[in-house]
Amino acid sequence: MMNRRSLVSLLGLAVCAGLVGLGSLLSPGPSNVSIAEPVPLPSVLINAAGATFPYPIYSKWFSEYHKLHPDVEFNYQSVGSGAGIRQTIDKTVDFGASDGPMNDQQLAEAKQKLGYDILHFPTVLGADVPCYNIPGVTAELKFTPESLSNIYLGKITKWNDPALTGPNPGVKLPNTDIVVVHRSDGSGTTYIWTDYLSKINPAWASKVGRNTSVNWPVGLGGKGNEGVAGLVKETPGAIGYVELIYAIQTHIPYGVVENKAGKFIKADLASVTAAATGAAANMPDDFRVSITNAPGADAYPISSFTWLLIPSHIADATKRDDIKAFLKWMLTDAQQYNEGLDYARLPKAVVAKEMTQINRVQ
Amino acid sequence: MNRLTWRKMVNAVMSSVTALCALIAVVPLLFVLGLLVVKGTSSLNWAFFTKLPVPVGETGGGIANAIVGSAELLLLAALFGVPLGVAGGIYLSEFGGWGVPFVVRYAADLLVTVPSIVIGIFAYAVVVLPVGHFSALAGGFALGVMLLPIVVTNTEQFLRTVPVWLREGSLALGAGHWKTTMSVVVPAAMQGILTGILLALARVAGETAPLIFTAFNNAYWNRGLNQPVSSLPYMIWIYGISAYDDWHRQAWAAALLLLGLVLVVNVLSRLVLARRMASRRIA
Repeated sequence: MMNRRSLVSLLGLAVCAGLVGLGSLLSPGPSNVSIAEPVPLPSVLINAAGATFPYPIYSKWFSEYHKLHPDVEFNYQSVGSGAGIRQTIDKTVDFGASDGPMNDQQLAEAKQKLGYDILHFPTVLGADVPCYNIPGVTAELKFTPESLSNIYLGKITKWNDPALTGPNPGVKLPNTDIVVVHRSDGSGTTYIWTDYLSKINPAWASKVGRNTSVNWPVGLGGKGNEGVAGLVKETPGAIGYVELIYAIQTHIPYGVVENKAGKFIKADLASVTAAATGAAANMPDDFRVSITNAPGADAYPISSFTWLLIPSHIADATKRDDIKAFLKWMLTDAQQYNEGLDYARLPKAVVAKEMTQINRVQ
Repeated sequence: MNRLTWRKMVNAVMSSVTALCALIAVVPLLFVLGLLVVKGTSSLNWAFFTKLPVPVGETGGGIANAIVGSAELLLLAALFGVPLGVAGGIYLSEFGGWGVPFVVRYAADLLVTVPSIVIGIFAYAVVVLPVGHFSALAGGFALGVMLLPIVVTNTEQFLRTVPVWLREGSLALGAGHWKTTMSVVVPAAMQGILTGILLALARVAGETAPLIFTAFNNAYWNRGLNQPVSSLPYMIWIYGISAYDDWHRQAWAAALLLLGLVLVVNVLSRLVLARRMASRRIA
């Protein structure tokens, strides 16, 4: 029979091993564990995951909200819209975020699995911009719907293709291959991009279609808006699509796009807001609306709302109250942070409509 | 040219070629170390060790929560993987006989080669989905699963180096099989086993893939084992692929820190092993 000492020594061995491992990890500097910031009182942690497109503004909001309400922490991870939708349906996060609205099938799956609805709350407006890295070219390129869709269909393969040189008379485009970059992960930014291409090119609509991930005819994949921005920056001859703020913050040149009215429009606060005016007036009750290729002379054609995906039933009363309080703050005070990060504010009519939807969260 | 000079010449040429190859082989390591020191040192400041991350695109802040988080995850991984692994190794070496150990050893070898992302998905399926949320426990479990086969194999190897005559002596003096194992064989191999554990911990400390959908990440301090937690490799990954210069700098610093910790563990384990060898010679 095993005696007690050996049992104790075996246990001791295991515990020692664990502690040695930890100790050696912490040993190089006492600074590791000494916590200069006092750990605040035990608080509510709300987990969320999803879109990278609005991540810069979301992390700003959650940080500011935490300053106002030190007892509430929103932990948002930008894992991509596709994963955000998935994790919301799987209920591993308290809420999700996406730039492509959930489709009917996903909503039905959520309803069946969870027993309640997932509500879409528009948060800000943003834009997909075509960004590029052409050695020797710093000019702002003009893209037509035809040139963009045919580049992504693999029909235009050279930078000096007539479809590109035509609208850009002053620019000397080289005779080099175009390297197409798209997203590798499930992405709302991709949804916006493919939604736009589907609207302006029937061949795209029939061959590829719109989704958070599609079967790309050509190109390399990058993970997240960060990944696409990084790939374009490192690859001569590359073209990619990212949310406006990523192009601005990483100093990658991005082009202007011809809109429905035939005008070349640069993505900025005014042109994105202009794209939303039509939708703001007739917002559907579930807020799932596409504003790509919007009418209006000044509308930027690849604009979009982005949404938080909030469960209509939140069992934990504390979390429910905190999420509802956050939504109210987000729709009002928080919108002041948008411009600093080049996102457009929500139209007033949409804010009012969302305020009533908050009451549906029970 | 006489035969002797020819042979001397060939000898000189061949030894310099091999020396050059050896040099080239360590160059990548030196490059990695050098690059990390150059790029990372400037961002290693007090705030880096003590502050929480700041919102995207803002400069400053630190990764204190990730440092503590990594320690937490490693402790959990050790609690899960070490007792099981050591016990398994003892069984394989001392009690198993032939059939079962063959299968277990084979399984352990296979488990070592399983890509870490697959272990992450496994932990997501068996811990995260049933429980319903990401947690430090799930991350520790995933790392523990990675740790387990390494510890089993190491423990078994070191127990096998204990000479048979030690076991025979103990048995001849009337001690039972279990008593012999616990009081004679395991203590004799103890330092080797500890070394194996340290190396295994150092190995999993740098893993990102098993943590993505288990430990998730946390922008704040972890407040309990059932809540998401940040970790060093995860932060390096997120900051590294970001588009912000300040995050890039912090990623370099975090990589330097992680590599430093792994090196310390490695050196520590070599010292432990060296002491073991020394004590062996005296015995």
